[in-house]
Amino acid sequence: MNIAVLIKMVPDTESKLEVNAGELSDQNFKYMVNPYDEFAVEQAVQFKEAEGGKVTLLSLFSEDNSIDTDLRKMLAIGADEIIVLRQNGYKGDKPLANAKILSDAIKELNVDLVLCGIQGIDYYQAATGTMVAQMLNMPNISGVTSLEYNAGILKAKRQIEGGLQTVETATPAVVTCQKDMNKVRFPALKDIMMSKRKPFENKNVENIDSNDISTSESSLPPARDGGEIIEGETTEEKVDKLIEKLKMEAKVI
Amino acid sequence: MSNVLIIGEIDGTEIKNISQQVAAVAAGMGEVTGLVMGSGISEAGMKLAAGKIIMADDSSLENYDPVKYASIASHVAKENDIQTILLGATSMGKDLGPRVAAELNCGYLGDCLEASSEGFVRPNFAGKVLAKSKPSGTVVATIRNNAYPAGEAWSGSVENYSGSITDSTLNTTDVENVGSGTVELTEAAIVVSGGRGLENAENYDSMIRPLAESMGAAAGASRAIVDAGWVSHSHQVGQTGKTVAPELYLAIGISGAIQHLGGMSGSKCIAAINKDPDAPIFKVADYGIVGDLFEILPILKSKF
Repeated sequence: MNIAVLIKMVPDTESKLEVNAGELSDQNFKYMVNPYDEFAVEQAVQFKEAEGGKVTLLSLFSEDNSIDTDLRKMLAIGADEIIVLRQNGYKGDKPLANAKILSDAIKELNVDLVLCGIQGIDYYQAATGTMVAQMLNMPNISGVTSLEYNAGILKAKRQIEGGLQTVETATPAVVTCQKDMNKVRFPALKDIMMSKRKPFENKNVENIDSNDISTSESSLPPARDGGEIIEGETTEEKVDKLIEKLKMEAKVI
Repeated sequence: MSNVLIIGEIDGTEIKNISQQVAAVAAGMGEVTGLVMGSGISEAGMKLAAGKIIMADDSSLENYDPVKYASIASHVAKENDIQTILLGATSMGKDLGPRVAAELNCGYLGDCLEASSEGFVRPNFAGKVLAKSKPSGTVVATIRNNAYPAGEAWSGSVENYSGSITDSTLNTTDVENVGSGTVELTEAAIVVSGGRGLENAENYDSMIRPLAESMGAAAGASRAIVDAGWVSHSHQVGQTGKTVAPELYLAIGISGAIQHLGGMSGSKCIAAINKDPDAPIFKVADYGIVGDLFEILPILKSKF
């Protein structure tokens, strides 16, 4: 089974979010592999171990940031190769354009399965994977918490309101991975050494026009003020006061 | 003014509350057409608050299937000269929305906090940055639950979907109700959440779940106790879990890490119980009790 895993490089969780004149500043961002995409890599490697085949990692990113070290970790987990599509002026909030470029690249790979995280922890659109599926004319299953493969049939459980929907499909298909899907392995030292010899290709891609919607203004949400600490002689009195306030002041119960 | 298509969802025999919220938003944006897809949904679908309702009622549509649903929605959008398509930010909406946008080659805005003819506001970085936009072309957007009040059911004209239904390799074999009898986290008016202060999984089960049940609330959890295996990920509130915006969010034994606050700070009212007076949760809470939760919870439970 040949699998493509889409990897988004996202600002790491320590990156400071600053807005200047309505624009989010990305100058000081450090980038890491989107955590949801790591579940996709782990799942792809498990399928490869069971079924044979190849795992190709595909990432679209800007020209000027170095991300090799973090991506190499995904090779150490067991992926076979990396292709990074380098784009001048890349933006993570253009799912339509990015999905088009990624789906064109996937067409050249001849894969049975495309995996990626359910969403990027930067813009939280949860859009690219599903859009790629449409553009490749493949079915998609999103928010999957467990995935099995048996004789050409994928069986996925996806989170829905109040429960789980079990969906089956023949390949090829696109599956987006939710947090509970698996536990991402820690690579052994030998695998880390091996990963340095695996193919790592950078390819330039052009910007394309798209109907993506650009942000006109970014802002930081207004800070919530701390409220009232409820005092009282006894615990019972504090609880009674709290309930009174929730009923009479906040009117939420 | 534009032509707006809302895609309604059915839950059993009722139209989902989130769909009526979306309908109310749409009413302020232009001429509203409703689309409801499913099997045996005509009666419930009629309640969708739209002037014209298109029903795609077919046994092959019983379970959500992105391939079939997206092709129907795109067909309806084109036939009715639609500029804006709105859905609830549900497990279906968040999957269907991008697929429809790709099919129509138009922009997509997910999980919007605000939507009107003035523009859209959606959260980036788990709500730590808000992004405003004013689309000029066709747009598909999903609206977060509880961002707007629901529209009232009323009877518009009803017509049946007359286009074709495309083939799909997807086949739903089972729908399992994990939290049967309990309220869904993202739809609940009240969320009672527990964190590490509970000390172990048994205390979550014996204290948080019963309190949530007697308050008619959904039970939530911090990332720490999900990672510790006390409860499943479907209960997690915060950056790598669910975003909730209930009327009341009750945080019990949760310190309030920034990743958690990102998932619940849109709540109308936040109340917190924690033994540490310096816990960050108190900086966002409207009401707080500093004290031992093992002493406070039994008393609180006895009041409901």
